[in-house]
Amino acid sequence: MIAQLSSLKPAWQRRDTGLTVRMIFSFAILTVLYLIFLSVLSYLGVGYIPIILIASAMILAQWYFSDKIVLWSAKAKIVSREEEKDLHEMIERIVARSNLPKPRIAIVNIAMPNAFATGRGQKSSVVAVTRGLINILDEGELEGVIAHELTHIKNRDALVLTLASLFSTVAWYLMQFGFYGGLYGGGYGYSGRDRNGGGAMLIILLVAMLTWIVSFLIIRAISRYREFAADRGSAQMTGKPVKLANALLKISGTMRRVPNKDLREVEGLNAFFIVPALSGSTIGNLFSTHPPVEKRVQKLMEMEASMS
Amino acid sequence: MNFFNRFRKSPLLSKSASDTIFALSSAYITLETKLGLKSTGRAAISLKAVDGMYFLTMKEDVRNFLNASRTDFDLAYRILTDTYGYLWIIIEGKNMEDILAGVTAIGDIIYERGFADNLLVTVFQFSSDTLDAKPSTQYLIFNYKRNNFYPFVPLGQKNRDTEQEMKILSAVDRELCFEKDMSNWYPLWDVPL
Repeated sequence: MIAQLSSLKPAWQRRDTGLTVRMIFSFAILTVLYLIFLSVLSYLGVGYIPIILIASAMILAQWYFSDKIVLWSAKAKIVSREEEKDLHEMIERIVARSNLPKPRIAIVNIAMPNAFATGRGQKSSVVAVTRGLINILDEGELEGVIAHELTHIKNRDALVLTLASLFSTVAWYLMQFGFYGGLYGGGYGYSGRDRNGGGAMLIILLVAMLTWIVSFLIIRAISRYREFAADRGSAQMTGKPVKLANALLKISGTMRRVPNKDLREVEGLNAFFIVPALSGSTIGNLFSTHPPVEKRVQKLMEMEASMS
Repeated sequence: MNFFNRFRKSPLLSKSASDTIFALSSAYITLETKLGLKSTGRAAISLKAVDGMYFLTMKEDVRNFLNASRTDFDLAYRILTDTYGYLWIIIEGKNMEDILAGVTAIGDIIYERGFADNLLVTVFQFSSDTLDAKPSTQYLIFNYKRNNFYPFVPLGQKNRDTEQEMKILSAVDRELCFEKDMSNWYPLWDVPL
């Protein structure tokens, strides 16, 4: 019965099951990788405990101080209700509608339009927007962007990504450790005393490198899916996907690509026969934390289409 | 494909343009139901005017066709040349089927007289009749060189409503061949419709 009811809902309101499946799959791969990595290490009998301890401590510290670190590094300033009444009221409206705790609000005094969310949990979270963002977006667009950031908080994306990067951080430290170990081993003749140790070092180095590369790519993939999820969440919160799509186009500068020059003026230039440069961005896509704007806009417009 | 057809001068170009344009016969209903956009009954074919006998003959042929087909299509028409040196054949009909038939038939005449390369666009005019907003004139532009449509919503002097354009795109994206690259959405200011 419940399933039937949900299938009657318009497409944009339904849960994105594909996304959930991909997320679980990604985490499964990460966990398996981590386990393989650990078993290889324990098989080789290396003293990996100190490294993991240090790495975990660093990750914990990073986690605990994350909001302060992020705000400090972005030069974001927490603003009170008196200082930014409109912004506070807008965010209060959104959180009231979506039954979320109100985050602290920060402003970064730069012209570049951008926004981010940070914080350990829903209660200690901060939403920061730049002055440039407030200036170039209209109210509906700003609402879309803030709802996107609020969805990140709601989905606990900071926690998810910190946990996911645990593996890659550990692998990264081990890689360095293995590299220097190998260096010293070769340079100072330890390998002569302990041939097996040198070989083991090489294996650790390779495994750590592989773990790091694969987990790096997977974290990027998770991050991109979280972005899509946040776009979706924002559209559900505000009910206006086209506003967020517009905001994304404005922020990315794509909006400026919509020409203002009359077709009859440019027609003679044969502008239409210029073969577009090969975008070849597949590799770039693998490494980026955000999906391409065109793709995000396309998904938002699909939601818009299914709503009207 | 279009690009190579231009060299081969095969009839495919005209054919595919007609096919793409005819998709509007169902898409315009979607525009009306989803966005409240109604066809004003006006459309215009624009092509670069050139001097010479052949172009004048072609123009006469179009005129003769429109006069002769008045019983079938019931289309009113005007022909004028704008300041850019483009000839505009503006037609006005009672329903979309007549307009589309007229537009594609005129396109065929232009094509057969050897002026396919001069064809620029066909513009379809719509107006919104939503109660909350003031009525505005909006356009779907069919580009012959790209063989696809894009939206154009002018806002006063040399401004455009990109948001509304994107809504149009998302409403009929599936039914019409659309220009995905927004940097090709060239406006046509002061369309003489």
